Amino acid sequence: MIALQAGGPHVTEQVEGLIRKEYSAGFHTSIESDTLRPGLDEDVIRFISAKKEEPEWMLEWRLKAFRAWQEMEEPTWAHVHYPAIDFQALSYYSAPKSMADKPKSLAEVDPELLEMYAKLGIPLHEQEALAGVAVDAVIDSVSVVTTYRAKLEEAGVIFCPISEAVHRFPELVKKYLGTVVPQKDNFYAALNSAVFSDGSFVYIPKGTRCPMELSTYFRINEMNTGQFERTLIIADEGSYVSYLEGCTAPMRDENQLHAAVVELVALDDAQIKYSTVQNWYPGDREGKGGIYNFVTKRGICHRNARISWTQVETGSAITWKYPSCILKGDNSVGEFYSVALTNNFQQADTGTKMIHIGKNTRSTIVAKGISAGRSQSAYRGLVRINAGAEGARNYTQCDSLLIGDRCGAHTFPYIESRNSTAQIEHEATTSKVSDDQLFLCQQRGLDAEKAVSMIVNGFCREVFKELPMEFAVEAGKLLEVSLEGSVG
Amino acid sequence: MTDFQQAQQTDFQQKALTLAGQQESPAWLAALRFEGSEQWLNADWPSRRTELWKYTPLQALQKNTSATWSRVLPQGVGSASLLTVDALRLVFVNGVYDPEGSNVGIASADHTSVVRFSSANAEQRSLIEKHLGRIVNTQRHLFASLSNAWVQDGVLVHVPRNAVLEKPVYVVYVSTPESEPVIANHRLLVVLEDGAQAELIEHFVSDTQPQNSFVNALTEISIAANASLQHYRINLEQEQQIHIGGVHIDLQRDARYSGFTIAEGSTLKRIDYQINHRGNGAHASLNGVYLPRNNQIVDYHTNVEHWAPHCTTSEVFRGIIGDSARAVFNGRILIHPDAQKTLAELSNRNLLTSDKAEVDTKPELEIYADDVKCAHGATVSQLDQTAMYYLQSRGVSKALARTMLSFGFINELLQELPQVAVRNYLQHHLTELFHTGTALE
Repeated sequence: MIALQAGGPHVTEQVEGLIRKEYSAGFHTSIESDTLRPGLDEDVIRFISAKKEEPEWMLEWRLKAFRAWQEMEEPTWAHVHYPAIDFQALSYYSAPKSMADKPKSLAEVDPELLEMYAKLGIPLHEQEALAGVAVDAVIDSVSVVTTYRAKLEEAGVIFCPISEAVHRFPELVKKYLGTVVPQKDNFYAALNSAVFSDGSFVYIPKGTRCPMELSTYFRINEMNTGQFERTLIIADEGSYVSYLEGCTAPMRDENQLHAAVVELVALDDAQIKYSTVQNWYPGDREGKGGIYNFVTKRGICHRNARISWTQVETGSAITWKYPSCILKGDNSVGEFYSVALTNNFQQADTGTKMIHIGKNTRSTIVAKGISAGRSQSAYRGLVRINAGAEGARNYTQCDSLLIGDRCGAHTFPYIESRNSTAQIEHEATTSKVSDDQLFLCQQRGLDAEKAVSMIVNGFCREVFKELPMEFAVEAGKLLEVSLEGSVG
Repeated sequence: MTDFQQAQQTDFQQKALTLAGQQESPAWLAALRFEGSEQWLNADWPSRRTELWKYTPLQALQKNTSATWSRVLPQGVGSASLLTVDALRLVFVNGVYDPEGSNVGIASADHTSVVRFSSANAEQRSLIEKHLGRIVNTQRHLFASLSNAWVQDGVLVHVPRNAVLEKPVYVVYVSTPESEPVIANHRLLVVLEDGAQAELIEHFVSDTQPQNSFVNALTEISIAANASLQHYRINLEQEQQIHIGGVHIDLQRDARYSGFTIAEGSTLKRIDYQINHRGNGAHASLNGVYLPRNNQIVDYHTNVEHWAPHCTTSEVFRGIIGDSARAVFNGRILIHPDAQKTLAELSNRNLLTSDKAEVDTKPELEIYADDVKCAHGATVSQLDQTAMYYLQSRGVSKALARTMLSFGFINELLQELPQVAVRNYLQHHLTELFHTGTALE
């Protein structure tokens, strides 16, 4: 339900969305795929690299990550439980077959793919109607088509699949890839570095304001295929970009691993706004199936730069995600706005890290967690003020809302301060939807479900208002659908 | 971690067991000691990767491998300042009972008993056997196992049904340097039966010389239905001392626990509070103050678990951290699935007065029931600059303004203390501390 709709959402569609109780994006498009045998060794990495015709340095970079990964252990500190993942049983590469000869225009694109986008509401064939948004649609591993390339090129903005950037802009990729999230950063980041399939590459030149919001849709489409996206966004001095990421996956029974890495580099005076709506398949009512979402997202802020993460997390069986900011430059600003909703048997352990290094750095964290059914949701955050971070400032607010007596909501904030001039405030509350509020709404003629959805929307308002318009509308609707069946 | 360090740590674990073997305790405590020894030896030694010890290094403890038990009552401990309070007093010096300083052996109030384990009668002994080592959560408090392994003697405070202890129980633990480093294992068991009331003051103090000791102090408290306990735990030992403390409390239906704790002064102080709400409608409040300076580390870990519905918890901790000191605070509130209608609040505020000081705080909420109201807050900052400006504009010197604001910050908690003797003692102590400026620079 995260589609961007031409001409805005229609009321009738909203009503329909409410009636449909099942995961509405749960369909499966059958496209013949070129899938690699399951298993992971150096040969697989060589194969992926060769398939993408990568230069030698890229292969070396992957192998280095792979060797580090072999020495590493899976993290177990998160407040989530799941059966052990057999990394040798996964397949690490798949690409739609019809991609062999790359389509130059929409007419050449596999009609089945186009149909799937239409279901998702990505109107590639209605590009004019989609004014202001360029879509780099990714199915599994290979970017299919990129729109609005021309207009962006005019502004000097580079927005292309990272596999293409490796060929076209090797210097930029070499300079920045792995500088924010090093290959050995953590278990899943190392795995991603070794086998990453594709993803987006964005470069905004000095002093440029990106003329439109950039958007990528990811979609996991192939049975048993882990997807390893790698995104690198570089905002050069004084530039601005707003990036939207939306996710939805077809319904299926087997758990799928998704280990993405997103790196943001905001050079002096630059600004990056990164918004995510994540609605991958969360598993069914009994907790069967669903996506394992183990993501590493991190941005680095140079002098006077600003990075803002906004996320709405409603999908995935397990979410393990901490979009972070390294506030390296003086006067830099980090922001994190999050809504994490879990229902049925979902588990989420999400939060952020704000590392204050520069003077007068500021960070704001607003995290809203909603747990329903038998789900568990946790906020885990770190605010670290280094000794040199004179005048640093942090404000953190995490609120949890509980719906139903078998769910859990947890808060684990770590606060480390080494500078006496820093000021840190942290506040957290947990409560349930109050009976008084419900009573008031019901007395005004709303049914219980509608009332809860209204209260939840109000609860998340602070975060929603940070989302770009199209997303904000979708997000509200998404929460409504995700909460269905959890009341009464 | 290198192999060398690993070996050293195992050395301390081994050494601790040797020390356990040297304890001469009665046969009826043998089972508990055996259980403790086994847990201690099988436990993983904490490192930076151990969540409960993430910020608190135990290297200082390694140096204590030559430490021994103090067997004879050390002389000349006059310089330790005690509370002036009319109380049932027990004094221990380096772990050795001091009959001269104490005033309990004399018949105390009719139905109550304040006795040492070694002089307990059969009835009291069965009470000790029933509760000792049964209230502690050794999973979260490693040194509780060590305390079990080391147990030789201790103090039992037992208040029978509906009895009220007229005078407070005042237990003083004095530390004084000896030629060899010393180790002391303090054990206190409080059993309040239905409707009983008592007040307990635990005072850890030393003479003014640098110390040379390791203190492991464990207090277990069982509060039955409708009973209530007022508990003070004052930790003011001097430099060069390592203090590991644990307070484990079980609360039954409508029981009340009201605690206050303060820590200031030694190389490393690590104090764990474990509060269990086991019956409906129980209430616990715990306030704490920590004032590390120089190179001191103070680490408070509190864990409040709500097992039953309708219970309330209120927790306030405040700290001022100066010099190169470090404060660690971890306040966990855990609401188990059936503990509906819980009300729990925790606040932790810190002032950093030096750029080399560090504070690591982590308030945690873990909630598995829905009909609850829980909140926590944590702040780290320096003294309010506008308040400083205001005072200075009124002609108050910068130094005095700092003293006034710091004292006020802590005094908000002190002035709520119901026990006048404790309040006066601490206010006096802090005034001296702040005026010499050592806590603020």
